[in-house]
Amino acid sequence: MSKKIKNIILAIILGITGIIIIVNIVYNKPHISVSEASPDITLVSQKLLNDFENNEFESNSKYLDKIIEVNGTISEINVSENKGIITLSDEGSMGGVICHLSPEEHTKIASLKKGQNIKIKGICTGYLMDVILVKCIIIN
Amino acid sequence: MKTTHILLLCFFLTNFLQGQERFLTKQGYTSFFSSSPVEDIKADNNQVLSIIDTSTGAIAISILMKSFQFEKSLMQEHFNENYVESDTYPKAKFKGKIPNINGLSNSEETVTITGDLTIHGVTKNIKTQAKIIKTQDNISLKGSFPVNVADYNIEIPAVVINNIAKTIEVTFELDHKPYKK
Repeated sequence: MSKKIKNIILAIILGITGIIIIVNIVYNKPHISVSEASPDITLVSQKLLNDFENNEFESNSKYLDKIIEVNGTISEINVSENKGIITLSDEGSMGGVICHLSPEEHTKIASLKKGQNIKIKGICTGYLMDVILVKCIIIN
Repeated sequence: MKTTHILLLCFFLTNFLQGQERFLTKQGYTSFFSSSPVEDIKADNNQVLSIIDTSTGAIAISILMKSFQFEKSLMQEHFNENYVESDTYPKAKFKGKIPNINGLSNSEETVTITGDLTIHGVTKNIKTQAKIIKTQDNISLKGSFPVNVADYNIEIPAVVINNIAKTIEVTFELDHKPYKK
């Protein structure tokens, strides 16, 4: 076999391996890490709720898929199996901001109390009766 | 979007006057499963809102498309951006009826629920069986039904046609509690 053909074969093999590696990296691209990412928007929970109540369409384009840091008062703590859900809402308000905690935050729930002020970071997925944040991390 | 809210609000207000007849969950569970020779794809959603009016048996379910969590972020991206186009159609909805809701015993029974399912802006009438347990302070609904992707104008590109099943199995588990405010 001439040297030229050998080189071509080698190049093809390297090319294919390269493509496989790239496809694999893209295919297995990890989810955004909420705990490491800095928030896109920081605001109080009531403002987030009001924005959605007033104009859901506009708020969807403003907040969806964004990492949002909210500050608010805990009105409800809900723990089941390995899910922790914290609702932030001001007194007298119909709706609230429902924060579904990341599994790694589970141990922190025991120390939380209703009425306490808290800062939580999570990804906004939309508004039903309340604004929903998922993959939440407790900041303090 | 606005009209549905006003409708939802009317729904609540009329019920306020009638007292304790609504059961609700804000953390219902829905998942879907696609099985193909190439790969299995599953996504979970724990943020389902479901409301049952026990005076009429009416049930209204709202689901945020972006709340579906996939194992791989690429799948989630494709799902939201290319298939269900969740920026344009952020919610899936179901409006239906549970027959004879007040004639149920306290133990598990099977009911046939009919209603309109809206996904990707397309509404179809569906019929599904569900297991229901109704007690004083809980209504639990469990079941699953197939969804034909093409029925909802969801286009799957030819490149991944073998990766995604044509019929997707949707599973739901909704634990409603009496709604008090």
